[in-house]
Amino acid sequence: MKTIAISGKGGTGKTTIAALIIRWLKEHKAKPILAVDADSNVNLNDVLGVELKDTIGAIREEAKTSAHKLPAGMTKPQFLEYKIQTSLVETPDFDLIAMGRPEGPGCYCYANNLLRDILRTISTNYQYVLIDNQAGMEHLSRRITQKIDYMLIISDPSVRGIRSAAKITRLIKELDTRIREKYLVLNRIQNSVPQQVKKAIEEEGLELFQSIPEDKKLLELDQNGRPIGHITADSPAYLAIDQLMKKLINS
Amino acid sequence: MSKLIATRAIRGAHKLVSRAEKELNQAIKEKSAQTKVEFPNTGYFLPISHGILGMKIETFEGLKELLEEAKKLLPPIPDEKLWVPYLGHALDAGMATLFADEIIEAIKYTQNPLPYLPETNPTDEQLWLGAANDVIMRERGIEFVDGTAPGFAACVGYCPTNEIAVKIARELQEKNLYVFMSAATDGKSMAQQLREEGIQMGWETRLVPFGDDVTATIHSLGFSTRVALSFGGAQPGDFQRVLRYNKNRVFAFVLALGPVDDEKHAQAAGAINYGFPTISETDIDQILPTGICTYEHVVSPVKLDKIVSKAIEVRGLKIAITKVPIPVPFGPAFQGERIRKEDMHVELAGQTKPGFEYLTTKPLDEVEDGKIEVIGPEINEVEEGSKIPLAFWVEVAGREMQPDFEPILERQIHDFINCANGVFHMGQRDINWIRISKEAKAKGFKFKHLGSILHAKLHGEYGKIFDKVQIKIYTREKEILDLIDVPRQVYQQRDARIADMTDEVVDTFYSCTLCQSFAPNHVCIITPERSGLCGAYNWLDGKAAYKINRTGPNQPVKKGKVIDGVKGQWQDINEFVYNNSHKTLEVFNAYCIIEHPMTSCGCFECISCVLPSTNGIMTVYREHTGMTPIGMKFSTLAGTVGGGVQTPGFIGHSKHYIGSQKFISAEGGAKRIVWMDKALKEEMEPILRELGKQQGIENFSEMIADETVAVTEEEVLEYITKKKHPALSMPPMF
Repeated sequence: MKTIAISGKGGTGKTTIAALIIRWLKEHKAKPILAVDADSNVNLNDVLGVELKDTIGAIREEAKTSAHKLPAGMTKPQFLEYKIQTSLVETPDFDLIAMGRPEGPGCYCYANNLLRDILRTISTNYQYVLIDNQAGMEHLSRRITQKIDYMLIISDPSVRGIRSAAKITRLIKELDTRIREKYLVLNRIQNSVPQQVKKAIEEEGLELFQSIPEDKKLLELDQNGRPIGHITADSPAYLAIDQLMKKLINS
Repeated sequence: MSKLIATRAIRGAHKLVSRAEKELNQAIKEKSAQTKVEFPNTGYFLPISHGILGMKIETFEGLKELLEEAKKLLPPIPDEKLWVPYLGHALDAGMATLFADEIIEAIKYTQNPLPYLPETNPTDEQLWLGAANDVIMRERGIEFVDGTAPGFAACVGYCPTNEIAVKIARELQEKNLYVFMSAATDGKSMAQQLREEGIQMGWETRLVPFGDDVTATIHSLGFSTRVALSFGGAQPGDFQRVLRYNKNRVFAFVLALGPVDDEKHAQAAGAINYGFPTISETDIDQILPTGICTYEHVVSPVKLDKIVSKAIEVRGLKIAITKVPIPVPFGPAFQGERIRKEDMHVELAGQTKPGFEYLTTKPLDEVEDGKIEVIGPEINEVEEGSKIPLAFWVEVAGREMQPDFEPILERQIHDFINCANGVFHMGQRDINWIRISKEAKAKGFKFKHLGSILHAKLHGEYGKIFDKVQIKIYTREKEILDLIDVPRQVYQQRDARIADMTDEVVDTFYSCTLCQSFAPNHVCIITPERSGLCGAYNWLDGKAAYKINRTGPNQPVKKGKVIDGVKGQWQDINEFVYNNSHKTLEVFNAYCIIEHPMTSCGCFECISCVLPSTNGIMTVYREHTGMTPIGMKFSTLAGTVGGGVQTPGFIGHSKHYIGSQKFISAEGGAKRIVWMDKALKEEMEPILRELGKQQGIENFSEMIADETVAVTEEEVLEYITKKKHPALSMPPMF
């Protein structure tokens, strides 16, 4: 099992890239895939064209607040596992699990502790686990998401974008999460990477791993609300993902 | 015990002892008193006399001494008119019989040609094997010790037909038992019946023909005596140890097939000394009261098709199934396996089809161990990708079984089924959900194997509790819907039992130290009526968590001596809290808010604190962001209460605890609540109303102030005075 996580600040196209990677994995028979929607603001399921059932957040809330309403004799771990297993959206190529809304106030130690165990067990059933992370990386800091093999930090081609990508990189270091490799990916490049951006990357001590061009076809699919996966294999963005994945797998 | 059966056993013993005397005198006359006697290739002398009496018999002279011992033990044949307690007499007669047997069998070994073949397997010419040599004993005896073979069935007599003989032999083999055959009746024996059917016999197949003489039965007990000496550490002559070892470790019994004469009665009495009961096909007198054997001593008449399972039950034999008999790999490693929709052959129950899992207790004679029925289509009759209903109806029986164990066993279904590679199980009761993969189906996995798993694993893990289990697997909607109300009713009863559980009925609470990472001195004590203050953990969760992880943050804590039942203080709980709070908390009252209240980590759902002028308390939920009558918001209050420090007048707790009969019960309970934040009050309304009713207060929740009518203590007092809140007329809080 390999885990790929995608993070970056809002609006950089994380979810689109996640969907394209799933498409690529599918095509390269790297199945089965578990997609984890860990960003409560964007809906990976829409982009993938599937409907969501329950979210982990809702399940967690239920487990936490209804200590006395559970089916008696069923322990909380069992109940949670049952609910989470039921919440999985299943398709022939990939299954999807959604983290849903973030925590409210109060103590989540126990619920998160359970979640971590259950998610770890579920993910061992897949060849690839792809996590679409939230900008604040809440799940990372709460250690819900486990060991990550490749972390793609997505940014738009702007100096401000690079600054926040650098911030995420530092945050990861500080959190001491188990991330094997981190890669900077620039999205929506028109023609080439602007000079100031290149300079910012250098100043922050980062390294550009892959740039993905602006793609009209993607825009169209998005505007019509159609799943991104329907993009043709020769579209520029997909070709860039192909390059990226080949480098990643061979790294 | 019946005089009749004792009389027959004692009479049999007399006959055998006088036969031994006659044959011994004859043998000495023909040869000499110095003639050597031994069972070939055994280093234990003659096992019974060596093990029980410590005798080292090497010659006929020695046999004469043994004969004297037998005679000494022989009780008088019971008088027709006189009744005395007979068990002791019968046991002595049994032991005398064993000595006589050994004398007679030892003499046989001095004859030429040998009447026995001292090898592992019989030949076409020689069926009877006699005493096992030392090589066999070491090889096979160890199986009795490590549990590979739980014991043996000493079969005496013959069956009405050869088919039945074969069937009984097979049944015993399936339970991994050795079948020791001896004692022909009217020249017919079970071993000969098996031979006529061409069944392979010998130590390797565990079907051992000892001899056709009734005295050859001694080779069974001789064998188990040697096991006690060589593996059980018993010293020769330490008969108590030899006999106790056999009773506790060797699961053996006598199957009396066909007519039972006096001599066979005497053998049965001998076996009882070892704790081995006799199960008879024909109607002989029973010895039911327990004493020497684990349960009954002699049971009869038992039909031949039930005789093996009856024997297993009477001997208290626990069947250990070491390998789960299914065509896919099995083990805890497969527990986390999810069968994806793409890979599954069939989905059972789950979100779309009905189902349930139910385990119940039945009388012993209504359960046939290992019986598995599939009612409805089997796996090869359902199309790939289909979804069908599923119900498990499990019936267990056992002398130690209690209804309280039913839910515990039932919950194991989940763990057991999940261990099969290619099978996925979720849920329990009537929310069960199973998937079986295409791969498992291709390997030959059938629905009935779900039953095989339950049979094997329930025996393996809970064999102490029950003796037999049979399983019905329903895969058709009609039957399931017809039945489903029965388990549902039982689930409800079980839930009610748990809901009714009070702190008084249990002797153990559970600790929770999950939060010690940030409140190092805090210890939660979770009782049936007070859940963890985070609201996430109740007593059953604590219990379950401990079962899963014995060294985890939830430990059982015995209550110990009650120091104060009203305040909720127990000696051992105090001690546990003291030791686990790094010796900071010496005393703690579970049901108090003022005197030594329970500490909080910081995870609490609610905070309650005393509002002194109202003679009551206020309770605020953690999501309430506004001001409270104590003059602090929740966040400030939390700082006062948390961190594992006892603050008299303040407690952190779960929402659930408000509805508990033990909610600050030492200080008057929920009746003390004079203020709550509105959201919490609304949520708890039905519970508050019910609590009020129990105390004869109508509309109790309306008497409680909230932030819409009062945000200061004065306003609360004004409001509750107007509403005639019961707290005002209660005794002062401090």
